[in-house]
Amino acid sequence: MGLQTGDVLSMQDYRGGYGDADILHSVSLTVGEKEIVVIVGPNGAGKSTAMKAVFGLLKTRGGSIHFDGNDVSRWAPNKIVQSGICYVPQVENVFREMTVHENLEMGAFLRKGDLRDAFDRVYTLFPDLVAKRSALAGSLSGGQRQMVAMGRALMLDPKLLLLDEPTAGLSPRYMEQIFQITRDVRDAGVSILLVEQHAKQALAFADRGYVLAAGANRHTGTGAELLADREVAEMFLGG
Amino acid sequence: MEIWGLLNYAIFMATFIGIYALLSLGLNIQWGLGGLFNAGIAGFFGVGAYTSAILTTQPVDGRLGGFDLPIVIGWISAMIVAMLIAWPIEKICSRLRSDYLAIATIGIAEVIRLVIKSEDWLTNSARGITQVPRPFGDLPYFESQLAYLVIVVALVIVAYVLIERQLKSPWGRMMRAIRDNEPAARAMGKHIESRRQEAFIFGAAFMGLGGALFAHLNRSITPEAIDPMVATFLIWIMLILGGSGNNRGAILGAVVVWIIWSFTEILTDQLPHEYAIKAKYIRIFLIGLMLQLVLRFRPEGLLPEPQSGTPMPSEATGQKTKEREA
Amino acid sequence: MIDLINFYIVPGLVLGSIYALGAIGITLVFSILRFAHLAHGDLATLGAFIAFAIVSGIGASPWAALPFAMIATAIVAVGIDKVFYDYLKERPKILTVMASLGMALMVRSVIQVVWGVDSESYARGIVRPENYFGIRLKDREILTVLAMVVLVVVLQLFLQKTKWGKAMRAMSDNPDLARLSGVDNRLVTIMTWSIVGGLCAAAGFFLGINSEVRSMMGWNMLLPMFAAAILGGVGRIEGAVLGGLIVGLAEELSVLILPSEYKAAMAFAILLFMLVVRPTGLLRGKVL
Repeated sequence: MGLQTGDVLSMQDYRGGYGDADILHSVSLTVGEKEIVVIVGPNGAGKSTAMKAVFGLLKTRGGSIHFDGNDVSRWAPNKIVQSGICYVPQVENVFREMTVHENLEMGAFLRKGDLRDAFDRVYTLFPDLVAKRSALAGSLSGGQRQMVAMGRALMLDPKLLLLDEPTAGLSPRYMEQIFQITRDVRDAGVSILLVEQHAKQALAFADRGYVLAAGANRHTGTGAELLADREVAEMFLGG
Repeated sequence: MEIWGLLNYAIFMATFIGIYALLSLGLNIQWGLGGLFNAGIAGFFGVGAYTSAILTTQPVDGRLGGFDLPIVIGWISAMIVAMLIAWPIEKICSRLRSDYLAIATIGIAEVIRLVIKSEDWLTNSARGITQVPRPFGDLPYFESQLAYLVIVVALVIVAYVLIERQLKSPWGRMMRAIRDNEPAARAMGKHIESRRQEAFIFGAAFMGLGGALFAHLNRSITPEAIDPMVATFLIWIMLILGGSGNNRGAILGAVVVWIIWSFTEILTDQLPHEYAIKAKYIRIFLIGLMLQLVLRFRPEGLLPEPQSGTPMPSEATGQKTKEREA
Repeated sequence: MIDLINFYIVPGLVLGSIYALGAIGITLVFSILRFAHLAHGDLATLGAFIAFAIVSGIGASPWAALPFAMIATAIVAVGIDKVFYDYLKERPKILTVMASLGMALMVRSVIQVVWGVDSESYARGIVRPENYFGIRLKDREILTVLAMVVLVVVLQLFLQKTKWGKAMRAMSDNPDLARLSGVDNRLVTIMTWSIVGGLCAAAGFFLGINSEVRSMMGWNMLLPMFAAAILGGVGRIEGAVLGGLIVGLAEELSVLILPSEYKAAMAFAILLFMLVVRPTGLLRGKVL
């Protein structure tokens, strides 16, 4: 199916990989406006890879990816960034030796003109960072660093935010905080696609989810639907 | 007379090539096998030369020496002293990237040069050590040169065989495993740092021996006998051009580069005097350029390593994601 | 005491400032381009000789020649990278180190062919030091330290306050994230080499004006400059300055306990000491 009205992102039967081998065999997913969509699945399912495909880090060998009316299947990352998709990597996602404010500045590197509204938006979303604006990102706690990482990505006012395992290594308290922040970002008008290892919690807070396994779709539905599904539960023993 | 002259020159050249082949083989163990960047080869060379000279010459006033030991002892000691110096240098750098070893070896070569130049009582400073004995030195000139060539060639062959055997041994296989995939080797519990130290010390021994052979060939050794940077660099380009990781490549590189180097010297010697001086630096420029060209267009060298995997030691410096056209 | 200052501390600070200028360049290449730049010393020699050529060629004052020498050396540095290092950038960095060793020899031999191996000087005649409350300082010595301070301040302002300065810091910090943010790697590389070339020329110039201009001058500084950069902490500009001053002072003060021929060995001793005890340096930089 092609791009449906209301879809911000649409990935159709996507096939691709890094080198010669395909990691994704047939992945389809959509993200609508003001939606949080999560990709879950066992290790090696290709969750992060699917996200990297959206961001242009993979070799596309089949299928397509459409964003905001454009076919971005073969675009390079910097062009994709300019078109409105921002990516927050799982690790090494801040400049540790630069201050919080400088990190945000670097997030807006490609933007010209006045950045004040962008800073306002981020500091409003993440009030904790205001007091820490001059602190080095490397000196912050894990949760605060994740805020900086997301804030960095939001400086370009993206339509779609890609989050790669944002709660990895965080305590339950920070995890909840990140989920709350993510909801705030969605309410501010940004669509969010994220990959999560903590499937249960992620499905509880997301609007819709996709379960991937071995590089292809397995299940899809709203968060609640997937949580209730027995097959899905079996895939994640204790997940 | 002409024929004799040419023959003598050929024998002299061949002896030099043999000595440089030994140095190149030594570097191959350090770089080709161990991935270690030794930018101070001249230091180990010098240490070997002076050790052997000091130990094998007659007593002389004002200078330590006169042990008048047999030449073989001199040569073996040269290797041992080179190894003794190599060990701490590598150990200090063993957990750090190769860049640091490059700097440290530049440093140790400098310090060795300083000691040679300043410590009168040890090295006779600028005047150097003379009357270094020669094996079969009492023979007539031609026979003596020939005898020395035979010795050097024999040593090269022995070295080659020895190193080849080591390469095929479990130690050699482990070295290659470390070089080709360090994270995997480390995960298997291989003690990377010790193996690298062994490679460095092993290679240094050959460099010390080369220095000793040089001193005994010329029957003397002075601080000015070799230009340290040029010598170090010549050996590097011998190895890279010949094919690093590859013993035959090391020897071939020595042959090719030394012939080119000597040939250009003959050419520039024909020039009028004021150009001849500058010509030396032009030759150095060309040899530097040659390395850049080889690195660019034929980094595997003339004799690429037959093994699978890169001839160049790989480092886990992280691969970047390939960038597409925007 | 006053003799200590005049004969050891002042020369140490002057030499230290020169080393600092070189060490900053080394630390920039280490942290942004991620390799040990072995041609750094000879690039400094080149800068010194370009200034000399301007002075002897058109009779300009050495101080007027300095900025042009810095610009010229910057251009040469960018050119060298384009031709000899750029194609190696996807391969293990040690190969770039090797190429830089070859470059050192090439640059030096060009200098030796063009200008010969004799010592040259920017100005003739003996310069008497002025007396400042017992401390004897030559104008050029004051200017050397002053220039180092000015250049460091300007560089720090650039790195801390400008967009591209921050881009350079970002590349040093996290190259993948920098690229993700849209930082153009090639532009950062060109900027880095321009700055490095300029600083090298300054280091060579100030060494030349305080002593003499010879073809081996830069190579002889290589070890102290690396020792200084590592002592201060790789990637830290203030570290390079601190390291430079310490190495310079240590060299001059070493004469009190070591024979003067071994001045050059001080840098090596400091280098080994740091590598053993604290490779991250005094100000905790990277270890490459």
